[in-house]
Amino acid sequence: MILQRTAQVIENVSLAERTFRIRLDCPEIAAAIRPGQFLMLRLPGTSDPLLARPFALYDTVLDPSGTPVALDVVYLVVGKMTGLLAEVKAGEPIELWGPLGNGFPQLEAEHGVCVAGGIGQTPFLAYVRELLGTRGYAGQRPRKRVERVSLYYGVRTASLAAGVEDFQAAGCEVHLASDDGSIGERGFVTRLLERDRPAGPFVGCGPEPMLHALTKLTASWKAKCYVSLETPMACGFGVCFSCVTKVKTATGWDYKRVCTEGPVFDADSLVVG
Amino acid sequence: MSPDLSVTLSRLKLRNPILVASGTFGYAREMEGLVDFAQLGGIVPKTVTALPRVGNPPPRTVETPSGLLNAIGLDNDGIDHFLEHHLPYLTSLPTAIIGNVAGEDEDEFVELTAKMGQASGIAAVELNLSCPNVAGGIDFATDVEITRRIVKRCRDVCPVPLIAKLTPNVTNVVSIAKAAADGGADAVSLVNTLLGLAVDWKEKRPVLGNGTGGLSGPAIKPVVLRIVWQVARAKILPIVAVGGIATIDDVMEMIVAGASAVQIGTANFYDPMASTRIVSELPAALKVLGCDSVREAIGAMHVGA
Ligand SMILES: Cc1cc2nc3c(=O)[nH]c(=O)nc-3n(C[C@H](O)[C@H](O)[C@H](O)COP(=O)(O)OP(=O)(O)OC[C@H]3O[C@@H](n4cnc5c(N)ncnc54)[C@H](O)[C@@H]3O)c2cc1C
Ligand SMILES: Cc1cc2nc3c(=O)[nH]c(=O)nc-3n(C[C@H](O)[C@H](O)[C@H](O)COP(=O)(O)O)c2cc1C
Repeated sequence: MILQRTAQVIENVSLAERTFRIRLDCPEIAAAIRPGQFLMLRLPGTSDPLLARPFALYDTVLDPSGTPVALDVVYLVVGKMTGLLAEVKAGEPIELWGPLGNGFPQLEAEHGVCVAGGIGQTPFLAYVRELLGTRGYAGQRPRKRVERVSLYYGVRTASLAAGVEDFQAAGCEVHLASDDGSIGERGFVTRLLERDRPAGPFVGCGPEPMLHALTKLTASWKAKCYVSLETPMACGFGVCFSCVTKVKTATGWDYKRVCTEGPVFDADSLVVG
Repeated sequence: MSPDLSVTLSRLKLRNPILVASGTFGYAREMEGLVDFAQLGGIVPKTVTALPRVGNPPPRTVETPSGLLNAIGLDNDGIDHFLEHHLPYLTSLPTAIIGNVAGEDEDEFVELTAKMGQASGIAAVELNLSCPNVAGGIDFATDVEITRRIVKRCRDVCPVPLIAKLTPNVTNVVSIAKAAADGGADAVSLVNTLLGLAVDWKEKRPVLGNGTGGLSGPAIKPVVLRIVWQVARAKILPIVAVGGIATIDDVMEMIVAGASAVQIGTANFYDPMASTRIVSELPAALKVLGCDSVREAIGAMHVGA
């Protein structure tokens, strides 16, 4: 069930260049959300920006007894709303609703591979913990589903790499790539993948050209691949029909809503372009 | 004593004047859990067309200052799918369901209105005479004679109350509203979106996949108030105000300007619980006016001259 709440900001701290982690006091949504699902966040008391914006769950925050009490979201400042969000102080209110979307597949495999570009790493932290069985979400008990998880993470430059320590602390093997070689290997993250050639399954999130490259690569390996899309949205719960993407059907394709049918799709089901 | 919230628009009686607008509430199922449907005066589901439509290419919406520009393009699976898959759920809800249809020509309007109006459990039919986003489509409600004729022909096949939803993109909405009344409409919904454009100057192209779009949200409220007031003063037929309504104050402004009911649209996107919150705030607002019923407040605005 989707809940709309006003949450107090617990903290809003810098993680990397133009990248922040905001922590929201919202036990009810924290108890219900699972990895790959997202939230809509809105600045109260203004009609400009008017709409809420979609953000992935970074992770839930547990109290000493292990009960989820707060939500972490990691965001990159790119425009109007995220610019204002970076100014929000602890104690101030944020409007939000969620959990939204379907979340990541509950894979059973030897080695799960997450592939991120830009700010696309954000949905994977909670997923790593779920897959490795160190955390349960949405009332589920923790259960180990994979032996290993790797994150292949590409950024433009070192100063934009955000949360790498969080992933390492969660037990994930992190492989970095950067366009300028300032961190990890120089070049696209898909080049790193080609070099290592892990068997997968793969789950990708990031800019569309990266997801296209990932889909092509994994298809050529005949490996299973899922992608999480970041299509702009107006409502987040399926009533506005803005966030559509082309999905294959028996007779061709149809526009499907990313918010309710995704944001995670089997890469094979999407029509590129 | 709690005030009487019920309103009557010609043959249509509603529990309260707070409805949700077509295209902004999906097929209601999406809002389950967020909205207590029993609190609403009614629900207008997304426009249904004769045949399935894929809709416009994305981007389909873009935010503008205090507004939203959209060109969804009536993405829907057609009337047969609607009647089979959405209507049973909708009519099971404890509120009035007002089916909304759009034809590509007059005959299609008549066919759709007959199917929708004769479906069991439908409280009324709203004719979307005014969608600005349909490629090659005609904005029917820009023409007095076409409006009168479509409403008349639809009225003849529709056993339930009929509402004509009009466009603001005309010089004189009053004459179009008169035409709808002449055709036999029970009420007019004022208004659909205002035609607009967003430009990406660096790419030298429109932002929306469709080019132009329809403007909605708080930015359009003054325009809607003006139109509601103009039509109300002409005493033509009951008015459902639509456009920029997001708070109880917006609702009361529309009602005193002459609306008998209102529809919440874009606000459902950015404040999903807005509609039911507004219903709960209605009694206190009526008390401020010293009114024991919504009916007393309708058109209560004093106007000089
Ligand atoms: C399911 C989902 C999960 C997301 N998770 C995160 C997250 O965890 N962290 C994060 O930082 N961002 C995330 N995003 C993207 C985030 O929603 C946008 O960055 C945000 O809406 C930008 O708002 P703004 O007002 O700051 O930018 P605006 O002022 O609206 O736009 C600024 C510029 O960014 C472009 N833009 C806006 N939204 C997008 C988008 N979705 N994709 C590409 N370009 C865009 C605009 O075209 C414009 O050029 C997610 C998106 C989705 C759909
Ligand atoms: C995304 C979107 C889709 C819409 N789709 C429809 C539709 O299918 N049929 C219709 O009659 N009106 C449609 N409308 C218009 C609304 O019902 C309403 O008339 C308009 O948005 C003004 O009200 P608002 O400012 O409260 O949103 C749509 C509006 C928006 C924003």
